[in-house]
Amino acid sequence: MNPLLTPELGTYVWSLVIFMTVLFVLRKYAWNPLLDFLEEREKDIAESLKMAESAKTDLEQIKDESEKILNEAKKEGKAIVGDSKLRAEESAAKILNDAKAKSNEFLDDAKSKIEIEKKRAIKEIKEEVVDLSLELATKVLQRNVKDDDNSKFIKSSLEAVKVDEAKS
Amino acid sequence: MFIAEKVGKEWTMDQAPQYAIDHVANSKKNIFEFDFLNSLSAKISNFFGISSESLFYIDLGISKHVFLLFFVSFIVVSTIVTLIQGYISHKKNIPNKFMSVIEMFVIYLRDDVLKNFIGHKEYRSWAPLVYTIFFFVLFGNVLGLIPIFDLTGLIGKIGYNAEMLGKDNILYLLSKGGHTVTANVNVTFAIATITFVAFIAAGIQKYGFVQHWKNLAPSGLPWPLYFVVVPIEFMGLFIRPLALTLRLAGNMMGGHIALIIFITFIFSATAELGGLAGFGIAPFSISLALGLTMLELLVAVIQAYVFALLTAVFIGMAIHVDH
Repeated sequence: MNPLLTPELGTYVWSLVIFMTVLFVLRKYAWNPLLDFLEEREKDIAESLKMAESAKTDLEQIKDESEKILNEAKKEGKAIVGDSKLRAEESAAKILNDAKAKSNEFLDDAKSKIEIEKKRAIKEIKEEVVDLSLELATKVLQRNVKDDDNSKFIKSSLEAVKVDEAKS
Repeated sequence: MFIAEKVGKEWTMDQAPQYAIDHVANSKKNIFEFDFLNSLSAKISNFFGISSESLFYIDLGISKHVFLLFFVSFIVVSTIVTLIQGYISHKKNIPNKFMSVIEMFVIYLRDDVLKNFIGHKEYRSWAPLVYTIFFFVLFGNVLGLIPIFDLTGLIGKIGYNAEMLGKDNILYLLSKGGHTVTANVNVTFAIATITFVAFIAAGIQKYGFVQHWKNLAPSGLPWPLYFVVVPIEFMGLFIRPLALTLRLAGNMMGGHIALIIFITFIFSATAELGGLAGFGIAPFSISLALGLTMLELLVAVIQAYVFALLTAVFIGMAIHVDH
């Protein structure tokens, strides 16, 4: 019999026993713990990948939101500036108008006062003129003028005064 | 190498094949004899009615191959358990160099072999078996390539005369050279037996005892074909482990025999053509042996993978009958 193919039942039995022992030991202390470990690690990796993905989307959302907020703030700022400008303009115009109105009032007041003063002055002048003309007339009359002449003169003087009054 | 013993003695070319076979074959004598093992062997053999002269006598003595089996299993268990326990207890998730090789094989076998052939749910219960077969066979193949005991023989040749210790001495027998355990058909047949039991157990576990055997006959055939298909399927059941046995043993044995023959070229040339021819042929024969050793390394991994793969495939076939 070829020594390379001889059945050696002793070797066969030993091989079975040794292999089964190795299988039992490795199964308990190597393969099952390793497979559990690998599974756990793969789960961890998958979870962290998922977490990274969700963090990315969260970040994008936050970015979008912050951009939105920024835009709104800009808009609001612009609105505030525009509003205040408008208000300032308004108040400036109001002040200006008020000032104008007041100055006009003053002016009108002054004018009317001037007019009154003027009228009073004219009146006073007239009275003065009458007085003076009366005085003048008395003086003239004292120089013996005829009655006719006298009344004619008075009349014309009075008319002149009237014309003056109308003119003024 | 135990051929070294023959240097300086008579050597003829036709001795080479017998030398190669003697090197690869198991020791004729057990290297350790224990009384309790001998009595156990006798008891078991008597139980089966096998006489001590029979070829099938169950001799449980520790022969060279059994001793090497113990050696290989010790190396496998200590290496893998140490590495994996160290890796898991550290929790750092960074495997060291050796561990990453083991992890590579484990993950590859799990994702591409176990999950594919056995199934995503069922694979966990069969994974330890497939992994153990792969690493046991791999370590057996690779340790056979490392001439550990041949080196002790060489040292024995130079440092002490092993022959003086007597033919029965352990040191003398070990110095005769180591060998690949997986080249012994009895060893590979034992592993194939476990595969055989595993794929039958997988089928019975899934379908129950009766239905599993009914699965041998695929349904939906015209009835006369069953007379052909069932015997073929039944024979296939037993041919599978036999093919596993012979494939692994043949591959490992062939490489070693070729390796030894290449080296004996030197001695043959010296014997036939003189010392100068021996020196002339040495570079040629050593480079051939070197190249073959590289090839053997590749074969060692491939055969371990094939054995594990086929185990997974057979278990898968028993579980998924439909294809």
